[in-house]
Amino acid sequence: MTQRFDLYNPTEAHATIREMVRSWGEEHVEPQAREHDETEKFNEGLFRRLGSELGLFGVTVAEEHGGVGLDAVASVIIIEELSRFDPGLMLSYLAHDILFVNNFYHTANPEQREHYLPRVISGEWIAGMAMSEPGAGTDVLGMTTRAVRQGDSYVLNGTKAWITNAPCGDVFLVYARTSDDPDNCRQAWSSFVVERGWPGVSVGRKEEKMGMKSSPTSQLIFEDVEVPVENLVGTEGSALIHMMRNLEIERVTLAAQSAGIALRCLDDMARYAITERKAFGKHLSEFGQIQRFLAESYAETASGRALLYDVSRRISSDSRQSLGAAAAKLALTGTAERVARRAIQTLGGYGYTREFPVERMLRDAILLSIGGGTNEAMHKNIVSDLRRIYG
Amino acid sequence: MKILTTVKRVVDPDAKVRLNSDNSGLVTEGLEAKMNAFDQYGVEEAIKLKEAHGGEVIVVSIGDSAGTKEIRTALAMGGDRGVLVTADMSEIDPKGVADLLAAVIEREAPDIVLMGKLSVDSENNQVGQRVAAKLGWPQATFAFTCEVADGWATVGREVDGGTANVRVKLPAIVTADLRLNEPRYASLPGIMKAKRKPIEELTPDDLGVELEPQLIIQGYSLPPARAAGEIVDDVDSLIDRLQNTAKVL
Repeated sequence: MTQRFDLYNPTEAHATIREMVRSWGEEHVEPQAREHDETEKFNEGLFRRLGSELGLFGVTVAEEHGGVGLDAVASVIIIEELSRFDPGLMLSYLAHDILFVNNFYHTANPEQREHYLPRVISGEWIAGMAMSEPGAGTDVLGMTTRAVRQGDSYVLNGTKAWITNAPCGDVFLVYARTSDDPDNCRQAWSSFVVERGWPGVSVGRKEEKMGMKSSPTSQLIFEDVEVPVENLVGTEGSALIHMMRNLEIERVTLAAQSAGIALRCLDDMARYAITERKAFGKHLSEFGQIQRFLAESYAETASGRALLYDVSRRISSDSRQSLGAAAAKLALTGTAERVARRAIQTLGGYGYTREFPVERMLRDAILLSIGGGTNEAMHKNIVSDLRRIYG
Repeated sequence: MKILTTVKRVVDPDAKVRLNSDNSGLVTEGLEAKMNAFDQYGVEEAIKLKEAHGGEVIVVSIGDSAGTKEIRTALAMGGDRGVLVTADMSEIDPKGVADLLAAVIEREAPDIVLMGKLSVDSENNQVGQRVAAKLGWPQATFAFTCEVADGWATVGREVDGGTANVRVKLPAIVTADLRLNEPRYASLPGIMKAKRKPIEELTPDDLGVELEPQLIIQGYSLPPARAAGEIVDDVDSLIDRLQNTAKVL
């Protein structure tokens, strides 16, 4: 059977996943989104159902290791579709399944996989990743968290900041300095799996944020935490490699959050302007200014998504897409902010109230220009890749 | 227990449909297709029966080759294998669908057939009844409960003013109504497993069925636009309007 090439649903399975998660999202995610934004509560029950009911954890883990065995495009589809309804919930999902599970899976040894994968794929344990620190975000090499080898364990000390899922998480992938050799600073970092329940691990006060309020964020504090040597992931000094390898799927999935926000705002704005609201006896879409909002929003969203899916389908554990992934994140985060802002403007008084989701979408959209590498870091990375091409 | 269930690929019922230029059909380009909603209840009931009694669920669809997607969705929910009869749906009427389906049922010899009571696109509500008649099997239509034991199915049907319970001897045709169950979502692992489940493709010729439509659609038209409402001053003028303008009293 010949099938037409579909960039957004490369296989029938992708199309079915998109349809399934959208329909589930309309039924279960949309109705709770406003309440969890307002109360700033994490919907842990719904989050676990993403795993227990839909099997959305372990998307990129091979089937023989208990995962689904799909690709970056599948993760992008899931995160894009459900971010139409509740970007905060999906930020927690992204931290669990991309920042922890995908990274851990590609780096861990068989014993580590056997111990941790079943717990995080079943959703019994919620996971996250800890890189940023109060004084080091995009500038990752400024991290000061330290792990010192003592016998059969490492002693971990330091504070991680803005950690998604820290207040609700059970297990984290933690980056820490293991060497001070100034000639070898790229091998100064190691990654560890650290459990929340271990002595010396604590969480800070829950952050009060502008958006993404349904996803809990806090500091993660380590005070003389004894991490068994078995929980060193990969070899000592190899953390930067793991970090870099995971960056591309992180960036396209964050861009997918922006794409979902843009699609939702475009839907709401277009329906309102084309079929619902009239002013001076005409639908809003008859006015040139609103036409520009709609047309530019459509064109920007469509072109951003084309880039996102074209890059995502080329991502695999052995191919580099740093330029494309950075470009997709840069393009779509800006698009989501602009489209959400135009949607608020088009809906006028309604758009500004909490009764309609577009104001929440704008607040949520802004995080995506900051987290997972700021847009300014994307500028820097894109230009450093361009130097390689043109320099 | 061998359970056969049917799925039809239909235009998303929430989509806004347009007629083509000569009003001979719908413009389907750009519209999303979905599994007929009533078939979802049938598939769910089939899978529940299998979970309770063991056996096999065979998912049958009739339509163009794109219909494998709806079959795979049913396989992802828990069906075991699919049969797609490829046919041009614009040239096939409910009798044709029933003839093809009856031929598949004769080949498969299931213990029970579960299907939607109607498809939400054409709303003919004929196929289940026609298949039962053609095979000479008992039928229980519009099921909102269904229990199978000892070679019989007990089916609750919602009727005006209450419930009618019918018992039919298997093999039988049961058509599903709303409220029969809550169809499950296909899970990601289910979707991946479904990729490896077999789907057999057949043509009407393979089944020895000659399609002779008895019903030919002459054309389509959209319902007329509704006139704007009117606010009347008092009850007397309301009665007057209802009697003389709307002519409903």
